[in-house]
Amino acid sequence: MTLTVDWFDFASDYDYSASDGTGNSLLRRKSNIDIDAIHNIPLDSEMAPAQLYSTESGRLFHSGKIAIVTVGLPARGKTHVSVALSRYLRWLGVKTRAFHLGDYRRAHMGPGTDVPHDYFFIDATPSSVKLRQTILQKCRLDLYHFLDHEMGQVAIYDAVNPTSMGRKQLAKEFMKHDIQTIFIESYVDNPKIIEENVRSVKISSPDYQGWDQKDAVKDYIARMNAKIPHFETMEEKELNYIKMINAGERIIVNNCRFGYLPNRIVFYLMNLHIKSRQTYFARAGISSQDDSYKADGDLCEEGVGYAKRLGEALLENRNKEREAFIANGGSPEELKPLTVWTSTRRRTVATATYLQESGFKVKQRPQMSQLNPGDVERMTERQIRAKYPDEWERHQVDPYHHRFPRGESYHDLAVRMEPIILELEREKNDLLIIAHESVLRVLYGYLMACSTSDIPTLRFPRNEIVEIIPESYNNRSKRIPVPHTNPKGVYVP
Amino acid sequence: MATNFLENDLQVEDSHICVVMVGLPARGKSLIAQKIVRYLKWLSVNAKSFNVGSYRRADTPRPTAEFFDTSNPEGERLRRAAAEAAVTDMLRWFEHENGHVGILDATNSTKARREWIKERCVAKGYDVLFVESKCDDEDLIMSNILEVKTTSPDYVGQDPELAARDFRERIRNYEKVYETVDEPDSTYVKLINVGSQVIINQVSNYLQTRIIYFTMNLHITPRSIWLSRHGESEFNVQGKIGGDASLSPRGLAYADALPELVKHSIGDKNVTLWTSTMKRTIQTARHLTYLKKQWKALDELDAGVCDGLTYEEIESKYPEDFRARDDDKYNYRYQGGESYRDVVIRLEPIIMEMERGENIMVVTHQAILRCIYAYFMNIPQDQSPWMEIPLHTVIKLTPRAYGTQEERFKANIPAVSTFRAKYTSANMGGEEGLVDEDKVLSPAATGAQVNGVVHPDEVESIVTPHHTATTPA
Repeated sequence: MTLTVDWFDFASDYDYSASDGTGNSLLRRKSNIDIDAIHNIPLDSEMAPAQLYSTESGRLFHSGKIAIVTVGLPARGKTHVSVALSRYLRWLGVKTRAFHLGDYRRAHMGPGTDVPHDYFFIDATPSSVKLRQTILQKCRLDLYHFLDHEMGQVAIYDAVNPTSMGRKQLAKEFMKHDIQTIFIESYVDNPKIIEENVRSVKISSPDYQGWDQKDAVKDYIARMNAKIPHFETMEEKELNYIKMINAGERIIVNNCRFGYLPNRIVFYLMNLHIKSRQTYFARAGISSQDDSYKADGDLCEEGVGYAKRLGEALLENRNKEREAFIANGGSPEELKPLTVWTSTRRRTVATATYLQESGFKVKQRPQMSQLNPGDVERMTERQIRAKYPDEWERHQVDPYHHRFPRGESYHDLAVRMEPIILELEREKNDLLIIAHESVLRVLYGYLMACSTSDIPTLRFPRNEIVEIIPESYNNRSKRIPVPHTNPKGVYVP
Repeated sequence: MATNFLENDLQVEDSHICVVMVGLPARGKSLIAQKIVRYLKWLSVNAKSFNVGSYRRADTPRPTAEFFDTSNPEGERLRRAAAEAAVTDMLRWFEHENGHVGILDATNSTKARREWIKERCVAKGYDVLFVESKCDDEDLIMSNILEVKTTSPDYVGQDPELAARDFRERIRNYEKVYETVDEPDSTYVKLINVGSQVIINQVSNYLQTRIIYFTMNLHITPRSIWLSRHGESEFNVQGKIGGDASLSPRGLAYADALPELVKHSIGDKNVTLWTSTMKRTIQTARHLTYLKKQWKALDELDAGVCDGLTYEEIESKYPEDFRARDDDKYNYRYQGGESYRDVVIRLEPIIMEMERGENIMVVTHQAILRCIYAYFMNIPQDQSPWMEIPLHTVIKLTPRAYGTQEERFKANIPAVSTFRAKYTSANMGGEEGLVDEDKVLSPAATGAQVNGVVHPDEVESIVTPHHTATTPA
């Protein structure tokens, strides 16, 4: 499906066949880990990265079926919130899928056709009302199918939902289907946040090519206001809602005391913001005691050289991107400073020294310490096979969940790093994470929605920095070469 | 060797937070404060509550309502001095005792007072989080007054009727000057009518969100929690650990007796029953008719390679492990299995759900109950893995504003003791002399015990390491 101009959620430059009610749009080849799989439907048999247990019904935390309904005008970050939330819930193992009404609208109208001008009006003409209902109906049928027949637990219904009356009816209808409803409103009264949002996600469309950014933003907002003249913010005492004001500056939670999951969602939303920033992943340099978990060795000379080349490559790349951003009319205020996170292990800290000395802020995160290999530390495959033949066998079957004696599994690592996931969402600066490969795998797995079978085999060679570029609808990954470096981190002329 | 790489579950290295409670009396502030402390300490975060009332009580043990009248200059001065002392102590604790989260438990009902506290904390570089409990539901307030009036140290030995009247008078004095938190630049969470609405403002770090998340799960409705181990299992009889064995005949007898054992204390209360997914807990609960839920997270600590072995076998097969486990039982992780610390992490959602829920009965396993019990009773980590939680006994915990009340009900059904004291041999038959009395903690006080902490002098009995310790009636 190619992008058409839709004035409501058209951040959707992606290839996703929304009208496929069976949910079989497995677009990403399973092994293509460079593409964010957040819109793929995971296989039922697969456990999620941080899932603690599974149940026959497929539902977790003793919650029933839940519909999360977004509320908010365009450019308030609704789609961002719904995609981020599905990412997090899926990571926890909750079967979640987002249904973007805009997709259905586009699919129904066909390429290049816009909805009638009064489509969002309260006093719309009968034909527009009928059109609205047809599109809604299709979306809801898919939603019910997901919850009732595909072991779905949380359906995120991403739409404007501007009127109180409409919301009450929706909650009533869901209740009839034995579905609990939580509304999440993105309410913004700070014009700066709206403008930034419009600029970053709405006007990148071909429609605004060649426009001056400021004019494009103005034009978009004016058209939006004309299109949806009527919007009521949530104040319905009887409904369950979470209102995020100005991207989480203030959050109002009404009537949400009905389960572990709603509170967990609030917890996540408290850490989420709608500003976009880059994340970079890099390996620590080679240490004098490389591959020893217990020794915690310092960087060797080769490692110190790598740290410098790494820092320079990153800064050079950032400068280029910044120049391009400004050349495209971006405002310098929107550029984010860079923060560096390392684990508390010596060689990750030392790898950040070059950047720290260049004036960047470095923070140590104890939870990011590498996967504990346990008794197989420093053992070769042949040694492991000889000493622990059964463990080796089990490890081959399920490398994500298996733990060697005294060691951690990737699953253990993911569960222990959950606070880091929330901190990652909370961070507002661009972020470079320097860590052990096992830690990078888990974090990358979260940001790119990788399956548990992919995570243990992800590769982070030292001659590349992996950059994750967030977009409203999905994340993109990009590899930045570190010059004069081989995959092991050794200098090559 | 103890594998301890899970320390610092929470990101605390640069977060020093002063949690400032706000709210009129009888809004559950002390309860919330105390629970935050307990929760954070259970998760290995150094937390402490500073109750201004207890500082004030040092000078004015039994104040009347007039004392709290803002137009009473003497009362005002003394209360100000108490607040001053509490804040000073808290700041000292941050600085010298490695405190991470200090809680200032007082009404803090005026903007001026809050501004003053904030200034003092910010000057030292500590974050301030206001937690306001706001309630205009009269029934809720009254039930809370009844709760507080019976347990508050201010009213010890007084006529309950008079105490209640005095308390309402005291609240009225506070109401005159009360200003709700709405400072736009402050970080706060406002809990309105026990969480029916929550307003969260300007949260600035992760630990704050964690604390807020926790408080959102709290409620002040009175309730109790009944805890029981599964009945004696075939493995218990054989002295084996772990496994998924069925109940022994005596275990089945306990299952038969359980409905009668809890009948009186549960009465017609609405109770939800939780078990693990293991046979022995499901069998134990089979005659109970409450709504049942099975939790994977309540399964017994995974003993890894030692699963299905006896302590004797572990001692001979893995002598170093056996010793290492005794050295640091909380952090020791069985080869291929779990440590107590791991269990605490996986129990965190259970604790959250227990806080959120009302009357709950939990039938689960020894290590799991130790962790849950340690949470409610504030037992430190070096002691909790060593606590004796006997078979065929129901422990009833009732959280109160000033501590958790405990009652125990023993079924008159003998069972083996699965308890092994620190540094004792695996052979539990003979060697009575090896019990280290300081390390063994058996906070089994039949009857009421209103205290969050168990003192050594309250220990009812030191368990004797007999292989078959029958429990007396």
